[in-house]
Amino acid sequence: MPRAPRGLTLLQAQRWAGTLTAAFGFLACAVSGEMGPAMTALFPLAVAGSAVAGRRFHGRMQWGWTVLLVGALLVLGVQVFAGQIDIILAAALFAELLCIHRLWHRRTERDELLLLLLALLLLCAGAALSAEVTFGFAFLAFAVSGTWALALTHLRFAIEEGRGPAGSAALLNSRRVATPALLGGLAALAFFGIAGAALIFLTFPRVTIGGLRRASRPAPIAGLGDRVDLSRHGTVADDPRVILRVRLDPAPRGEPRDLAMHWRARTLSQWTGHGWQSPDGGLIPVLRLPQRPPRGRGVPSVLSADIEVVGQFTDGVVFTPEGWPLGVDFRQPGTPRPAARRLYRNAAGDLFYQPVDSGDVRYSVVADTDEPDPGRVRGRGQRYPSWVEADLAVPASLDARVRALAERLGAGKDPADAAAAIERWLATALRYTRDLPGDVADPIADFLFVRRAGHCELFSSAMVLMLRSLGIPARNVTGYFGGRRTDAGYYAVRAGDAHSWVEVYFPDAGYVRFDPTPASERGSRQEGFQARMVLLWDSLQQRWRAFVVDYDLVSQAQAMRRIGQLLHETGQRLAGKDGGTGRLRRVIAAAGGVLVTASVIAWLRRLRGRARKGQERELTADQRRAAALWRVGRRLLRSAGIEIAVGTTAGELAHRVPAAAGLVRAYAAARWGGRRLPPRVVRATLRELRSGLRASAGRDI
Amino acid sequence: MTPAWKRRLSFTRMGRWYTGLTIGIGLAATNTGNNLLFLVLGLLLASIIVSGILSEQSLRGVRVERRLPSVATAGQPALIGLQARNGKRRAPSFSLEIRERGGDVAGHGFLVLLPAAQSAEVAYRFVPQRRGLHRFEQIEVATRAPFGLFEKSRPMDAPAELVVFPREVPAPPLIGRTLARDGERPEDRIGLGLEVHSLRDHRPGEDARSIHWRSSARAGRLIAVDREQERRKRVCVVLDQRPLRGEALERAVEHAAALVSRELDGGAEVSLALAGAFLPAGSGEAQRYAALRVLALLGAGGDGLGAPEPDAEGSVLQVRG
Repeated sequence: MPRAPRGLTLLQAQRWAGTLTAAFGFLACAVSGEMGPAMTALFPLAVAGSAVAGRRFHGRMQWGWTVLLVGALLVLGVQVFAGQIDIILAAALFAELLCIHRLWHRRTERDELLLLLLALLLLCAGAALSAEVTFGFAFLAFAVSGTWALALTHLRFAIEEGRGPAGSAALLNSRRVATPALLGGLAALAFFGIAGAALIFLTFPRVTIGGLRRASRPAPIAGLGDRVDLSRHGTVADDPRVILRVRLDPAPRGEPRDLAMHWRARTLSQWTGHGWQSPDGGLIPVLRLPQRPPRGRGVPSVLSADIEVVGQFTDGVVFTPEGWPLGVDFRQPGTPRPAARRLYRNAAGDLFYQPVDSGDVRYSVVADTDEPDPGRVRGRGQRYPSWVEADLAVPASLDARVRALAERLGAGKDPADAAAAIERWLATALRYTRDLPGDVADPIADFLFVRRAGHCELFSSAMVLMLRSLGIPARNVTGYFGGRRTDAGYYAVRAGDAHSWVEVYFPDAGYVRFDPTPASERGSRQEGFQARMVLLWDSLQQRWRAFVVDYDLVSQAQAMRRIGQLLHETGQRLAGKDGGTGRLRRVIAAAGGVLVTASVIAWLRRLRGRARKGQERELTADQRRAAALWRVGRRLLRSAGIEIAVGTTAGELAHRVPAAAGLVRAYAAARWGGRRLPPRVVRATLRELRSGLRASAGRDI
Repeated sequence: MTPAWKRRLSFTRMGRWYTGLTIGIGLAATNTGNNLLFLVLGLLLASIIVSGILSEQSLRGVRVERRLPSVATAGQPALIGLQARNGKRRAPSFSLEIRERGGDVAGHGFLVLLPAAQSAEVAYRFVPQRRGLHRFEQIEVATRAPFGLFEKSRPMDAPAELVVFPREVPAPPLIGRTLARDGERPEDRIGLGLEVHSLRDHRPGEDARSIHWRSSARAGRLIAVDREQERRKRVCVVLDQRPLRGEALERAVEHAAALVSRELDGGAEVSLALAGAFLPAGSGEAQRYAALRVLALLGAGGDGLGAPEPDAEGSVLQVRG
């Protein structure tokens, strides 16, 4: 008994394709996270409900649906007018409701087409609401499922129209139509569509009017704190989330996989007893960054860092690379528009920007990376200006052992040497651990004398307090250390790279960075699967942004110019005008010649094969053998010098060449007479021909 | 002659919405500069292009032949076959609608799939409402594949004619002059019929079956019987169409056709006499086809034509309007 085919009927496949298309349209909206939990949860519930009970409710309670939709429209309208939600979001929410309504009422062609159009509207709303790479995935899925849905819907209703309801039932319920081959073919078609979309996307002129652009919504955020508590419990987490994306110009030598760079965020100089907090005082606008104190001769080493801070982690802080910041620019490269953000600084010289919003922040920092080493700041004395007094404050409760240790390491030395000695001692005598000390009375004494191990904040805090106890101004600085190179060409600094170090003040030199944390322990060690995936995802997201979201007229012009340049160079090479010998041209000409010759040969063989196939299609094996015998026989005769004139019949040949009589007989009997011609007879006939020809060599016919 | 490249393109309902939405999204993308909208726009435009390429691929290489029925009668359904062949070696054609265009007949067939290098036949039902010549001009192969957004069609010249016979109606009661009895009619000469013509002496060597045994017994010698030559009943259906117009003419033609059919069914030789035309007597299906064809093509008017000239040797069945 033949097995019934498995799989979906055409009708089922068409309905599921429509549902999937609507679902991916909705997903494109939902990934923006702006639709709210209730409306986000409603759609999958409605889809499940329509799959289970949709047919039962079809066409019923229409008035209820109408009331519901009109009510929703009114509520959304009021919310838009009240400024609670913007019109795009309201449109997306209403389209979702319409889509749900249609999912519950699908019977006619009109219903199905409306569902697909609503799904398309949801996709468009998603494009306006979200710029994440997740939209890209939803878009791809929509393209495939939409192709299925359009094609199968067309097929379904074309069959119904062409064959009538009764005649089409068998085909619509057949499982032999919507086969994996058909669905695979349609998916391939979708990828052609996607390739075409990419091409159109690339070349469609990016001339925009700029009206009705949807602004991002401000929202309160949390990020880098302005205080540190050293008495926390637990373990320092290796958070793999990317917080900074950095491109350096010039690129670091050798483009290492891991970047050894301190990314300075803010100063925490006030000791709280259990940690640090940032100094009091407001922000003042910065028109121009402070000049670097004069130093020796030499050309400054300038580094430009193009920094993008993930919105969740900005907190209004401007990150700067190692060195003395010379300038911060918030303008987008290639855009003439003035920057929307302004630069500020606090009393400690930390840089901030305002206004702060939820979006990612991008700016470029130019810094002089030539930092003075301890040797260059030696011998500058200890006459400090009054404004560094805060960095000399020593808590009264400081453990005497800390002071004693500081004196043992640095007393009587030049401040530069003392700082270097303390830094060296901490980095070598103590051990790094990510385990937090917990609730201890004096975390510094506990770190230095009890546990003799700790994390970066304890190393830097201990050094600051020890230097201060020696009368050397120092402060705790927080930020990030490191950066992992990504496939997309930028360095990713992750939340787990959070770090703390020390800045020591030297007269006429300013603050100089010291880092007592052992060099091998700075930053994170995120090599796990999750960390790699996070990095990969971030890299993907950046590519999406760079190539899709931020693709503008400038990028388009650059891309076109590059393509034009490529074509021009290719043309030059082909024409042999590139200064070379035109080798490429010769290679291409030779390859073309080979290709043309091969094509002609293939074509001729095909023609010949087709003609022979046409002739021999109906022949039996004996007749085919007879034809082959005839061809071989003619060749033998020709090689024996016996030319067979055109039109010579087999009988005439037998008459003129007696040696060929056996050949003619065997050929005619098998080819036309229906006789058998076994291979041994063929061989015997050819043997007879050869011997006959040898005997009558030299005779002409 | 319609060139092979000629195509007609029209929007479907979905296509109109789709195109409108595409334009709307294009405007929105241009207005906002939102690249993701440009991406959606690209997808929609690419789908339109893919749709155009595939629909062309479906139509290309498809040849259609019409297969007309040998006989069609007004008021009775006839099947008209449309045989499509996909001349492409590899690519199948999808969702083909094959329909008549430009002639007197409207009909269409639908093929879900026409595999590469294969043929398939669809038929449509045609119920002619009138007798006479029905002309076919073009066959149009149309497809909405793959997405149902547009309908692309390709007209092909396929001129043909179908003569539709008059509607079948019950034959009217006999009103003509009956010149002889029904059935086989004897002639006054010796032949191979059944009726006895004369008796004579049996000639030696003659077929023994010709011996009339009763007379031979009575006469004491062999008496042979000669039988009469018989011929079929010969009927001439006469219709003078000159004064008839419209419905009256149609009724008369239908009655004439009914008479012709009835007489031919009865085994008679039937001739047809019309104003200006005469169909000599004959029998069998060939005669029926010829007579019905003449009646099917009979037009109104013809005032200048001469009166019908009935067959002098046959019974005359006069049809009146």
